[in-house]
Amino acid sequence: MFKRNYRQDNGVAYLLLAPIVILLTIFVVIPFIYSLKVSFYNWSFYQPSVFVGFDNFKFVLEDDLFMNALWVGIKFTLMVVPASLVVSFLFANIIKGMRSKGASFVKTSIYIPTIISGIVASIIFVFIYDYMGGLANYVLGWFGSEPRAWLADVKTALPSIALPAIWLGFGLTTLIMLAGLHDIPESYYEAADLEGAGPWQKMWFITVPLMKNIILYLTVTGFTASISQYELSLVMTGGGPLDTTTTPNLYILNHFRNDVMVGNSIAASLLLFVVLGGISAIIFKVLNSEKAIDG
Amino acid sequence: MQPKQGKMKISTALLSVMLVSSIALTACGSNGNDSSNTSNSTNSKNTSNSTNSTDNSGNTSTDTSSTNANAAANNSGNAAAPAEKVTVEFWANKFEATTDAWFKKWVDSFNKSQDQIEVKLQIVPGDAWAQKLKAAQAAGKAPDFYTMNYGAIANAAKLEQIQPLNDIMDGATFDDLYDNIKDFVSVGDKYYAYPMLVEPSAVLYYRKDLYTAAGLDPEKPPTTWQELIDNGKKLTQKGIFGLATGQTAGDLGWSSWGLQYGAAGHLALTDDWSKADINNDGYRAVINFYADAFKAGIMPKQALAGYADASPFGQGKVAQEISGSWAIGQYRNDFKNMLDKIGVAPMPSQNGDPSTTTATLGGWSLVVDGKSKHPKESAAFISYLLGGDPNVMIDFFKTAQFSKFSPRKSVDEAMKADPAASQDPWRALIAEKVIPFSKAEPIYPWDVSMAVSTAIESAMKGTDPEKALAKAEKDINDFIAKSKLAGTNPKQAQ
Repeated sequence: MFKRNYRQDNGVAYLLLAPIVILLTIFVVIPFIYSLKVSFYNWSFYQPSVFVGFDNFKFVLEDDLFMNALWVGIKFTLMVVPASLVVSFLFANIIKGMRSKGASFVKTSIYIPTIISGIVASIIFVFIYDYMGGLANYVLGWFGSEPRAWLADVKTALPSIALPAIWLGFGLTTLIMLAGLHDIPESYYEAADLEGAGPWQKMWFITVPLMKNIILYLTVTGFTASISQYELSLVMTGGGPLDTTTTPNLYILNHFRNDVMVGNSIAASLLLFVVLGGISAIIFKVLNSEKAIDG
Repeated sequence: MQPKQGKMKISTALLSVMLVSSIALTACGSNGNDSSNTSNSTNSKNTSNSTNSTDNSGNTSTDTSSTNANAAANNSGNAAAPAEKVTVEFWANKFEATTDAWFKKWVDSFNKSQDQIEVKLQIVPGDAWAQKLKAAQAAGKAPDFYTMNYGAIANAAKLEQIQPLNDIMDGATFDDLYDNIKDFVSVGDKYYAYPMLVEPSAVLYYRKDLYTAAGLDPEKPPTTWQELIDNGKKLTQKGIFGLATGQTAGDLGWSSWGLQYGAAGHLALTDDWSKADINNDGYRAVINFYADAFKAGIMPKQALAGYADASPFGQGKVAQEISGSWAIGQYRNDFKNMLDKIGVAPMPSQNGDPSTTTATLGGWSLVVDGKSKHPKESAAFISYLLGGDPNVMIDFFKTAQFSKFSPRKSVDEAMKADPAASQDPWRALIAEKVIPFSKAEPIYPWDVSMAVSTAIESAMKGTDPEKALAKAEKDINDFIAKSKLAGTNPKQAQ
């Protein structure tokens, strides 16, 4: 009796799993295996492809620009992720303390950047940063400052691109943080009040530890999202000045567009995949996700 | 027992699912490749149309209207003669609005003129071009023929991405070309492209009224780089920059070729492509020219527009602008009120010798894709548009305000009869003082040009010019070694 039921359940389970397995196979597994294969070839669309072994990987690894792009990606992430975590943590705490009507207004408004596409955001910010007549230089002008070439200066280009990235992402992270804050039982804070804990102590000993999983999640997703960011630099600077804003994906796109053979960009993508996976694993290891104490 | 069996089942199920789906996928793939021409071309139409509309979401309305027009033309074509008409797909880079309109006009006229071939035109914006074409090629759905700049022809021919035209076009159409242009479009003894136009890449435009106001003689444009910079200093004032030219590595990569030629006598690679050839005074001078001009404070810290776009000058924000001959068309079409204040002169050279090269001749041609299923039909249209009745091309040069030049003798002959063309002083100046001293664009890979222009840009941004030059030399030599470039110059191998 038990056995038969068990088997029936299995059959249904396989049936229900089948669509997603098939879709994953078609859209993930097969392309991945195919790209692995292609990365060992000088892949041409017009002539027979030539097997070149690890040449493509060697080419990419020896390319200063690839290493530079990785470094740019990491610098960009270090600007975007911590800043957006801090900003959204503050916003989430403010919203939590607001009355419901005001809170829903703020929630809606901070979500607006999230639904704006990166391309549109880039164009808006290109206007803001415009050398002649841009908003940023107009404001600087009030203080008698010379206009600055935000996007053409080696020093300011990357931070100038990090800003719209934070702006685009912080709405969503704030809402996730807010959900996490609402999950912390009020009784903990009441207990802490009785013990005479101040606001900093409450935040440090109650809020932050209980938000750990959320922060971990946001760090890992934020890391992956911002290191694979490319449309902001593509539209705003084209990777310049002097490759200071060429993120890894923009590097890959440039090679895909310009190179005669495609093997190089595929090898670069696979290497990026390895780097991303490696760093995500390190983050998970360091911030060790755990089940919340309260369950 | 039980769990183990279960596991077995999962793995076999997974395996069979993967097998089945991979078989299905390969079946689909081979089906797509083997399927007959008609079904394949309709497929490609649909996908390309849809990608076009998404690509252009941020772009001008002309593009979307072209898609609609294509779709409409396509529908009516199918309805009229479903089986006999051969449809060929034509992708054109997006150029000036007048050029886009000219393409549309003559494609329509060609389609109406006969009932054998239907040309479907799609105009693709320049920044989407490379990846869109690559994606189409990867999917085996590349257009039958498309625009290509001269610099790309030799390599595309070497890789068989484009077909030789000798057997599919009338030899007489090639006899009509000027001899130096024949060289642009041929590799070995074969022609791989039919040229549409040539245009010099660097011409100096300056504001005569501002020259007078600054105490400079408006009839005496600068002839040396130093004069150009000195004039720029006198012309710079609040809201107006003394000089504008390409200033990002991407723009400098191609806009500085002429200056490199003029100062060094050659370009960045040795003829056999075996090593960099930039560690010399000529290249040093080019780098210093840009660095000096930038540091003199006469250029905007951030380019007001790309090199190909001369509108900041037309808008009055710049007193001296270096741009290509195409800027004339832009001024005449978009900035009519500025025309009597504009002076046109050859781009100054390092030492002031007017016969020194300061511009490269670039331009566009039409090529037939290596995998096109209808090369003859494609070639028929190319002959009609570029190689046939001179009036078609004269119509083009008129809409471009004579800012571009014909690669064909017969077109120039016919144009002599046209009063607007023959009496145009700017056209005459460029034809007499710029084009004769211009050289062809290089055909070596873009990476090499980028290494040089990165050196120029980094010198502008404060790197020591010597260090920038040394890094560029190393980068080029590394690139040659890695991509096994030595001895692969397609022009030399033949």
